[in-house]
Amino acid sequence: MSRQLIGSLLVAAVIVAVTIVAVTAKLGPTSAAELESREERQEERLEQQEERREDQQERQEDRGEN
Amino acid sequence: MDLVQGNPTEVKVVLASVATALAIYQLVLISIVYRKIRPSFLQAEPAAFTHRASGDTIAFLLIVVAIMCLSYFELEDAFHAVTGLLLLVVLALKVVVIRWWHSASRFLPALGITVFLLLAATWASTAGAFLA
Repeated sequence: MSRQLIGSLLVAAVIVAVTIVAVTAKLGPTSAAELESREERQEERLEQQEERREDQQERQEDRGEN
Repeated sequence: MDLVQGNPTEVKVVLASVATALAIYQLVLISIVYRKIRPSFLQAEPAAFTHRASGDTIAFLLIVVAIMCLSYFELEDAFHAVTGLLLLVVLALKVVVIRWWHSASRFLPALGITVFLLLAATWASTAGAFLA
């Protein structure tokens, strides 16, 4: 009897887990957290490009002065 | 503190979907309790205990989802608002019948089916449409 009880409760737990995984997978990249991290990565990339451009400009200016 | 990390709709959809999935399992369990189906691997008594435990979980999830609906979202969809309100009312009535109003227990199957249909309709009107 207790085995049946544990088994039926485990089935409920599996249903919960499978539903969470399935729904989360479906929602996936639309989540605000994911979009936020994408934006952060993009901002970092832009900042790095900006820094590189500034470095190049400084180097060119240094060469021009010399 | 933002518990849902800026994802109220997604969290609500997950919680409502878990409640709906458990509700389908509830139908199977109660069919075993009323001996409509008699699987060899599960008797009526453990099925009844799990039905109660799963029902308590569903009730908790629905209360959380209802609070989220009222806190984060305005009443935009009248159908969703009506089915959601009716769902909570019928669920509360079912709990009252189970715990205190035993003379009305003959209505429990009808109440249970009504709760399931209202939950399915409420889920389909938002979470189902969101996932489609």
